[in-house]
Amino acid sequence: MKNDCRHWAGIFLLFFMGSCLQLNAQEDAPVVLPTESKYKDPVTKTWFNTYGNIRISKRLFWVAQTHFRLEETEDTQFVGQMAQIYNRHAIGYIYSKKFNASLGGVLRLNFNTDESSTDRNLVPEWRIWHQYQFAMPLSSVMVYHRLRIEHRWTQGFEENSAYIFRNRWRYMFRLKVPLNSHKLKPKTWYVSPEAELIMQSGKAVVASPMEDLRLTTTLGYIVTPRLTFAAGLMYSQGQSLDNGGVYKQNWTMRFHMYFSPDFRRVKNKLPEIHLND
Amino acid sequence: MCFPLGWICLIIFLAPPKRLIGQQTQHYTGPFQIGDYRGNAVYDYKVIGQDTLLEGAFQMQRSDLEALLKKEDSTFLFSGSFQDGYPNGFWTFQFGEFQSERRAQVINYQYRVQVSGVQESGSGTVLKGKPNGTWTYDVNRIQDSEIVEALFKSTFDFDEGVPQRNFRIESEDRTLVGRFLRNGIAHDEWALYDDAAIDATERWFFQDGVLQKIILFKNGKASEFPIYASGSQVKTVTIDTRYLAAVQLQAAISDPGDAGISGILDLLDKNATYYAKMDGILSELGTADFNPEFKVKLPYFPLDSLEKRTLANIFELHEKARTSSDFFLNSSQLNILKLTDQQSNYLFEVVRALSNDFLKPVQKVLNFQKDSVLEFVPRARVRKELWPVAIPSKTVRAIITKDSVTVKKPFTLSNAADYDFEGRLLNSLYDMTKYAMACLDSIEKDLNEKLIREKRQQTLVALEEKLVLQEKGFGELLDSLSSDTPANYRKVLQRLKGIADTKLGAYGVLQDTDLKLEQGKELTHCFEKLLVLGAEIGKLPAQSEEIRLHYQDGVWNPFMATVMNEEVKKRITNAYRKVLVPYFLNQIQDGFDCGSVELLLEEMSYTGERMFQLRDEETSKLERKLRREQDPKTVLKLFHKQPKNKEN
Repeated sequence: MKNDCRHWAGIFLLFFMGSCLQLNAQEDAPVVLPTESKYKDPVTKTWFNTYGNIRISKRLFWVAQTHFRLEETEDTQFVGQMAQIYNRHAIGYIYSKKFNASLGGVLRLNFNTDESSTDRNLVPEWRIWHQYQFAMPLSSVMVYHRLRIEHRWTQGFEENSAYIFRNRWRYMFRLKVPLNSHKLKPKTWYVSPEAELIMQSGKAVVASPMEDLRLTTTLGYIVTPRLTFAAGLMYSQGQSLDNGGVYKQNWTMRFHMYFSPDFRRVKNKLPEIHLND
Repeated sequence: MCFPLGWICLIIFLAPPKRLIGQQTQHYTGPFQIGDYRGNAVYDYKVIGQDTLLEGAFQMQRSDLEALLKKEDSTFLFSGSFQDGYPNGFWTFQFGEFQSERRAQVINYQYRVQVSGVQESGSGTVLKGKPNGTWTYDVNRIQDSEIVEALFKSTFDFDEGVPQRNFRIESEDRTLVGRFLRNGIAHDEWALYDDAAIDATERWFFQDGVLQKIILFKNGKASEFPIYASGSQVKTVTIDTRYLAAVQLQAAISDPGDAGISGILDLLDKNATYYAKMDGILSELGTADFNPEFKVKLPYFPLDSLEKRTLANIFELHEKARTSSDFFLNSSQLNILKLTDQQSNYLFEVVRALSNDFLKPVQKVLNFQKDSVLEFVPRARVRKELWPVAIPSKTVRAIITKDSVTVKKPFTLSNAADYDFEGRLLNSLYDMTKYAMACLDSIEKDLNEKLIREKRQQTLVALEEKLVLQEKGFGELLDSLSSDTPANYRKVLQRLKGIADTKLGAYGVLQDTDLKLEQGKELTHCFEKLLVLGAEIGKLPAQSEEIRLHYQDGVWNPFMATVMNEEVKKRITNAYRKVLVPYFLNQIQDGFDCGSVELLLEEMSYTGERMFQLRDEETSKLERKLRREQDPKTVLKLFHKQPKNKEN
């Protein structure tokens, strides 16, 4: 079992960091926490994320997200190679204007970003996720608290490697501040600072509960009520799974498209505003 | 359970003969109105056929404590009974006008409010809708809920509606007593006593209904006036306004210097008013003939067929003459012209004299006829009543005052001798009217020319003043635009002002007065329309904004967790904004014709109206058709209501 853990830790190091060669070489050595925390060089990444919320009834919507995540190579910063393709789906429920919840699954395709690896190039990762989002208007600003819980099954790139199971505990705090208008409405630019803490638990997690702390600021533009674009920069850091004393760092450029079409018949749509009637 | 009950009901309803069902007495309690009287009534009635007949006791009353305490209250109480739809039995009528001191006392668990005012009360027995027995009518002044003064009191004895024996009418300071024969005809002496005098001040002597003489006692002196001599043909009439008018006329003729016989007439008149009040109420409720007939006989001078025809001719001719004279006398134009023009002033005064000397007296006779008095006055006396001194001369004298010197200037027609003012009354009245008409015709010829010339000049001046004012209106339209009005709207209104200026310029160079009048009139109409159009164009930006807001719909944005407004039915709003509005604005170009204004206004108003309707209508078909449609006429056609769609 311990072997397993170490084995998985190795895989995850491959996953989250660009250069893991030395670590792989230490596979059999016992993990020793350094006397001082150690920060790795930041990795640069680029995410192209699409977020779809498709209304299917007065209160239900279908969450359909596809993310393309690229990562640096030695030659190319930020967009050197494809790292992951995300497919996240769920059914969301609008409880009120201030609260909604979703439940669904994720299929993530992980590409082997280790340029020297001879293992499999592509492995799937499965998740069940549910999230609870609170939204609060505060003057012209909107404040969001998002709790997301993920149950994930991951697998290494080696042939026949087994799945390991972990839970992720995520909390995100986010603001959306309209810049050229008194509220978030079409033709409005907004700036959105956000901070997300991702904790993890599971048998494989021994000394590194803090998986990621993400600090992002995005600039967005609401084109119509149904279409918004945003772009931003994220800095994140988190403990390596195999050694809690080692911290990974990332700089990520993020490009987002949010779309929320509504294919319902007109007569079922009205009135949109009165959710609680 | 239901079945036998149903049968029982059926039997109950079928068993009695139909007639009896209808005659079952029903009871009513609730609001009720008789003429102007609104109050609460309690009564029983029968329905026979389609008629409602009152039967049994009847009571209706009104009193409003709140109104009384606030200011004053009008109360009434009618109480009596009916039999077969006729008032029958003892009846009481009370009418009150009360104010209160707004002070109340509590006595024996009752609040008592003292009132002051006037209370009228009439009571007596009715037999089949007619007064029968003794009837009294009192009017009392009430002070703090007590009678302090009797203002009026009359007592009559009736036999089935016919007044009998003695009657008595008292007012504050006078008392009238009189007597009727069994058939209700006035007889013997009717005397009026003044409270301040010992003897009767006014005495009427009837002989079998004919008023023979009146003796007046004034300043310690008695004077006697013979009224009607016996022997002439008589007709029985009731003592009403007509009779009073005839007597008054006759008395005045007997002695023009003294018209002091009003006392008896006054009291009779007052009494008649009170009885009419009660009659009005009873007649509304059922069959009643309550107006008591106090009968008298009047000498009768009937009109023969020739006289009647002459009278009709006089009426017709007089109508024309009066219209003509009124036109001149009331013409503001002539009233102004006569200040500067001597001839006009002279003719104006002639018209005034014609009106006073001829038309007014003829009018008086026509009024006698209208009031049915003419046939009760000897013709000779009528003539004397009309012209106590002398019959007016054919030479009309216009009284002209200038610099406080009064000059009489004659006016006559060359054929004046053809008219006879001295013949039989109606014939001479006809000739007088005809003469007046002929004079007026001749004056009209003289005056019209002056007036028409003057009038045209004035019309033109007024017209041009209006045009200038309207022209200013275009500038005001521009000024009234709010500062955020888009420039293209401002330009259109400037263009509109330019169009108006060009038209006004073209009008300005015209020389001929007739042409100016004609075109000026057209131009004011045109400007009126253009101003309306301008005002509507000025309203378009606000309307567009209103329409924009009307087409907003709230959309829930799940990412922001906010409701955002979104424009719906964009093809319709685009057609409005990008096709129709520019089309409306572009219509107004140089050489824009006033004839096109109405159509444009109609299109604009229809479009505005439709835009508000289309938001809530099913428009998927329309939206499909509007796709890429750029022709405003086609868009307008599509906007028109499709009857087929409506059915769907």
